[in-house]
Amino acid sequence: MDLFLFYTFAFLAITSALLVVSLKNTARALFLFFIVLFAMAGLYLFALADFVAITQVLVYVGGVLILMIFAFMLSNKELLSDLQDLSGSFIQLPNWQSLALSLGFLGLMGYGIWQWDQAYSPSWMEQNIRTGQIILSRDNNINQLGMLFMSRYILPFEIISIFLMMTLIGAAHIARKGDEA
Amino acid sequence: MQEILAHIIPPIAIFLFIASFTLFAVYAERKIAGFVQDRLGPMETGKHGSLQTIADILKLLQKEFITPTVADKILFALAPIVIFIAVYIGFSVIPWAPGFAPANTNTGLFFIMAVISIDALGILMAGWGSNNKYSLLGSIRAIAQMLSYEIPIGLSLIAVVMLSQTLNLNDIAFNQGILATENIKFLGIWNVNEIGGVLAWHIFQAPHLLFVYVIFFIATLAECNRAPFDIPEAESELIGGFHTEYGGIRFAFVFLAEYAMMFLVSMLGVVLFLGAWNTPLPNIGSLQLATWTTGLYWGIFWTIFKSTLIVGVQMWIRWTLPRFRADQLMNLCWKILIPAAFVGMAISGLWRILVMV
Repeated sequence: MDLFLFYTFAFLAITSALLVVSLKNTARALFLFFIVLFAMAGLYLFALADFVAITQVLVYVGGVLILMIFAFMLSNKELLSDLQDLSGSFIQLPNWQSLALSLGFLGLMGYGIWQWDQAYSPSWMEQNIRTGQIILSRDNNINQLGMLFMSRYILPFEIISIFLMMTLIGAAHIARKGDEA
Repeated sequence: MQEILAHIIPPIAIFLFIASFTLFAVYAERKIAGFVQDRLGPMETGKHGSLQTIADILKLLQKEFITPTVADKILFALAPIVIFIAVYIGFSVIPWAPGFAPANTNTGLFFIMAVISIDALGILMAGWGSNNKYSLLGSIRAIAQMLSYEIPIGLSLIAVVMLSQTLNLNDIAFNQGILATENIKFLGIWNVNEIGGVLAWHIFQAPHLLFVYVIFFIATLAECNRAPFDIPEAESELIGGFHTEYGGIRFAFVFLAEYAMMFLVSMLGVVLFLGAWNTPLPNIGSLQLATWTTGLYWGIFWTIFKSTLIVGVQMWIRWTLPRFRADQLMNLCWKILIPAAFVGMAISGLWRILVMV
């Protein structure tokens, strides 16, 4: 059952990702992107990262995707037709360059799989398995996340807060009427 | 086999519940509207019009699928399903009675927030797919409103979670009555673990939550696109908003989603603030009212009773108050509700540190 669900999510993610890049209808592609993100969230669940999965849905689907669709709707028609016209548009890379890029990524991933030795795992991992310090699917790891955010990862956490503050101020500045500024 | 059945029966039960609740709620809505406007409401079909909504749904089911010629057909057809499913999934984590919830997850509350935000996407799909200016305007208004009002909802939820220290809705429900596993105190001073009843509800455990609940309630009204926040479907300006082009069973799904959403947010409010499935009757000496009225069936009864009451208040408000203008709506959200919710959150933090030690 789990395996079946895993492959369903993986299949959904890959096919809809392929469709997103190949569809000519930008609006449909954006809505398909939602399926990609949702399937990815499903895959995170298999890594016992339920918090990350839900955050993915909340932030990307509820926020980023809606913003993308808004941007798409508010941009003018000429720009969109330029985008949708796939031959010789300004945003598209020449074919040979994109081919080289994708082959490069494929090679990188293939190299990663080739290098990965299934029998070997680092000593800290084996030690933790022996002492039982592992996460089970029933565990509540939100408490641990909170602890780590407030202790070991406090600096990145605070930097992200400041970054979000900057975007808020920037958004407020852009949204202000011109003559008052 | 048993495992598969356990995955199939609860969704079907929930769907049947939503469908029958919608039938009942539409009838109630019309009767309440009639009462508020000093008229009788539906009277012709069945006794006191009680078969009216069944007749309506039969009419909707027979209707032809009409798709506008220039609409984006796939998006148009999928949108009602996405809208409904988004709300429907939300029901999967809410507890109905002690230990009786479709799914008992540690991230229940967070999950509901995430899933409800998918609803906005479905509305956008409907608006864009219809290829109709009124629909598009309606859906853009709906999104702007839903995204803004998600912030006060989120902040008021944080105020509760700070006190309960868990995102598991089941645990939150347990700690508001006689089955609590932690020390619970009425107003933070009087231990009510044995007494239970209304005194153990969150809004009485920490009185500022009453004020947070009002914020939550107002924001959820906007989240459901209910009056006085119904500018997304303002009939006089936008025909029917994002569902202008829908008819037949597709419209029925949009409608079902709206009523399911009303019940979902009422239930969420009940679980978080109003004691979930806990009885309102306290134990008084040898009169063990709370102990007698706690259990599986009582739990389901209290959940449905309280949630229906809140839905009733939503309807009462809808037919009493006029609609907000778009700028008033945003002012209310950003200048009143969000700062107030921040204050509530700050008080929660202080309460946790200073009172609940």
